[in-house]
Amino acid sequence: MRKVLFYAPLAAFLALALFLLSGLFSDPRERASAIVDKPLPEFALADLMQPDKIWTAEALKGETYLLNVWGVWCPTCNAELGYLTELREQGVKIVGLYYELPRDPAFDAPFDLSVLQRDVSEKLTQNGNPYQFNILDLDRSLSLDLGVSGAPETFIIDASGIVRAHHIGDINPQVWRAKLAPLYQQWSQP
Amino acid sequence: MIAEAGQLALTFAFALALLLALVPLYGSFVANQRMLLLAKPLAFGQFIFCLLAMAALIYAFRTNDFTVINVAQNSSSTLPWYYQITASFGSHEGSMLLWVLMLAGWTALVAQYSKALPLLLQGRILGILGIICVGFVAFSLFMSNPFERSLPFFPVEGRDLNPLLQDFGMIMHPPTLYMGYVGFAVAFAFALAALISGRFDSVWARWVRPWALSAWLFLTLGIMLGSWWAYKELGWGGWWFWDPVENASFMPWLAGTALIHSLAVTEKRGTFKSWTVLLALAAFALSLVGAFLVRSGVLVSVHSFATDPGRGMYLLVFLLLVVGGSLLLYGSRMNSVRSQARYQLFSREMMLWGNNVFLLTACLIVFLGTLFPLFHKELGLGSISIGEPFFNQMFYYLTIPFALMLGLGPWVRWKQQQLVPLIKPFGLVLIATLMLALGTLALMQSVQANLALLGLLLGAWVGVSALAEVMLRLKQFGSVTAGVSKLNASHYGMTLAHIGFAVLVIGVAMTKTYTVERDVRMQEGDTVTVSGYDFTLQEVYALNGPNYGGEAAELDVHKNGRFVTHLHAEKRFYRIQSTIMTEAAIHARLSRDLFVSLGEALPGNAWALRIHVKPFVRWIWLGGLLMSLGALVALCDKKYRRKLTGNGEAHA
Amino acid sequence: MRLVLVALFASFSLLAQDIRPFDNEQQRQLFNQLTAELRCPQCQNQNIADSNAIVAVDMREKTYQLVREGKDRAQVLDYMIGRYGDFVHYQPPVNRFTLWLWLAPLLMLVLLLAVGAYRRASKNNDDELAANTPSASELDTLIDRYRSKKP
Repeated sequence: MRKVLFYAPLAAFLALALFLLSGLFSDPRERASAIVDKPLPEFALADLMQPDKIWTAEALKGETYLLNVWGVWCPTCNAELGYLTELREQGVKIVGLYYELPRDPAFDAPFDLSVLQRDVSEKLTQNGNPYQFNILDLDRSLSLDLGVSGAPETFIIDASGIVRAHHIGDINPQVWRAKLAPLYQQWSQP
Repeated sequence: MIAEAGQLALTFAFALALLLALVPLYGSFVANQRMLLLAKPLAFGQFIFCLLAMAALIYAFRTNDFTVINVAQNSSSTLPWYYQITASFGSHEGSMLLWVLMLAGWTALVAQYSKALPLLLQGRILGILGIICVGFVAFSLFMSNPFERSLPFFPVEGRDLNPLLQDFGMIMHPPTLYMGYVGFAVAFAFALAALISGRFDSVWARWVRPWALSAWLFLTLGIMLGSWWAYKELGWGGWWFWDPVENASFMPWLAGTALIHSLAVTEKRGTFKSWTVLLALAAFALSLVGAFLVRSGVLVSVHSFATDPGRGMYLLVFLLLVVGGSLLLYGSRMNSVRSQARYQLFSREMMLWGNNVFLLTACLIVFLGTLFPLFHKELGLGSISIGEPFFNQMFYYLTIPFALMLGLGPWVRWKQQQLVPLIKPFGLVLIATLMLALGTLALMQSVQANLALLGLLLGAWVGVSALAEVMLRLKQFGSVTAGVSKLNASHYGMTLAHIGFAVLVIGVAMTKTYTVERDVRMQEGDTVTVSGYDFTLQEVYALNGPNYGGEAAELDVHKNGRFVTHLHAEKRFYRIQSTIMTEAAIHARLSRDLFVSLGEALPGNAWALRIHVKPFVRWIWLGGLLMSLGALVALCDKKYRRKLTGNGEAHA
Repeated sequence: MRLVLVALFASFSLLAQDIRPFDNEQQRQLFNQLTAELRCPQCQNQNIADSNAIVAVDMREKTYQLVREGKDRAQVLDYMIGRYGDFVHYQPPVNRFTLWLWLAPLLMLVLLLAVGAYRRASKNNDDELAANTPSASELDTLIDRYRSKKP
């Protein structure tokens, strides 16, 4: 017994090393989402291009789609527009959730919808337009309810309005094939 | 050319480290004296080449040689010269070279000051240090070369040093911290050499003690400087965040603190042997685990370096070889070692055992708190965070019994202590403690049962008891004045360090309880009152620094109508890295800090300011300083010096 | 350490200048405590009080709003954890696995203290061993002898 006891530090160390090894191959920034398998939170937000149209969680039901959080200010988001447009051409329905930056009242001009609409149209003509339409989240309230920590982030939402996946970071061919496509297939089957 | 010369020097250092790792150790097994004698010159040579490599890197930074990737990414021609020098260890690559230099430096020191050791032991210790050097020099040379060039394409201007690191604290913090981390390699090597030879006795403990103590001194100082730097540089007035990187330095500190106490028992009483050896291994192992955590990217931290899985893999394999190997040796050799001393339940041995148990429990708490999120996630249980609430709660409960015991410890004799003789002095200590704690709060007109009262009670208990104990010892020499020169330096050092702990506890408790923070909106001319201090914003104007612009605010502070101080807070915008930094204005006094940081501009020609009044916050660093000072005093003890007088009657 | 607060000597004037005015001191403390305990989900490792990332600013404002609405500590924490998961709170949830965060240190403490007491007891009646340990002066001579030895 006494003999074995002196090997206890070694055993503890080896167990630790095992965890550290597995830790090397996982991204510490990746975290579980709290929204997955819950319904899309209630909201009532205007369409970016047609401010008279108000979107709600109920109005989005009926079809599986991607909800992509983005903004023209975000370089990574702009970079993924091209690939997302390819996905749209393959028949994936993508809805944009426009994540507007807070304004610094001392330096920034007050919010002007027409300026934003112009910027967004320009960007989408330039990089490709993957979106069926864009929902404007001006005060980022829906984003907060969804647990969005920044842009870009993408959710897969099924036909009954349940959030099925939450991806933090950009979508590229590799991420799509390895992580999101299988989920999208699974939840878009009737 | 100079950068290539640096790389060449590092390559030579690698070759010498390789020889140091092989020749003396081999010589120790075949009893070849000439091989053993080679250890010393090899250690010195290795150090000189590391020094040359570091000098070459500093030269590259000073001459703005942007063809060197490391220089281009961490410096710029507009950077002030002193930060160009510190930028040489501001990156992962540079700091690794600094680490290597420190390691080689400690090895050279051991070579220099081990004349007293038997040649066999000396050769083994230097050989083991050589093995560790090989690992780190190779890592620096092959995995994170600080001299790598980007030729033929190179930028005309560098990316500048991270503004957070452009601070006096950054000049001091990494070198001292690394001296501490790496310093435990010496105790580690002593422990391994003893495991190989199978000899652990009081003599061994006496030899290790000054090395462990000096490493501990630097680590204490390094952690303290880091905390002070974070406080004044990060702009939110915090001094400890329980960040993984902070914890990575705290764990070896806790194990090291246990080690220097356990060594006392092994030296004086010849017991706790297997435990002491384990602690000597653990202190350095935790330093290595810390280096892995900081540099591999397995944890998310504010301070971690840009990471790369290849480096993590290398460090993990190295960790497995060095720590795994030494623990294997420990397991196979230690069961033959028997400690042979007996003691009663109430004895110095048990008090020091208690000290070790609490310190190790604290170490386990920090360890679990740091790594549990990783375990949790790797087991597929989801992401969790562990931070201040958890650690504070655990340390709150741990500190109470620990401090109570610490007040008692130095009074208790070896082997056995009778309770009765302690009753009277401790009655007096208790009364003095109560008077001090309640008196302080009465002066602040805030006598109530809160954390501050608890902290004051514990701090006063430890401090008063430590002082009283020294007075009593001095009296034993006849009179106090006669005793002053007779009591040995170790004893004064211990007392000083214990008082340092008391000061630290008081500082933490008072700051936590009485800090007042206000986020206010101010225009020029506005006054806001926080904790009785009137802060008046005089003016805000544009700044123009060497590599930054921004805004500065001038404030006057009055108390009860009397002028206290003038404060100058800055919000800097570093042009090259385009980052915003707050340079807080701090007016420090022993009893409180006034802390103002300038925030963003608000509509209507106003600014957001964060104003803190933090009572006793200086005591936190003062406590750390006193602890390091205590270690320094203890190191001056004549028993550690080469020439022995022969009658060193040692106490603790 | 829980902020056992209500600093009596902290007097406030010109409350109108506060960036975030509160109805009372309890609310202010609750807000300070919550923003210190909630983790910014986007940052490296910062709480939402110290970070200026957009999501941290939004969470801070939401916390302020909830506190002003009179929500208590648990309600605000539930709100945030419901959206961002356990990750967002610096105090881990208690479950069968995280229980060891508290249990393991306690077990170690008790076990090691017991070992110390047991070792003492088991060797108590073994008298001659005491003489094996050299006294301090004997130790010095021993060291001197080591030193004079040539290998």
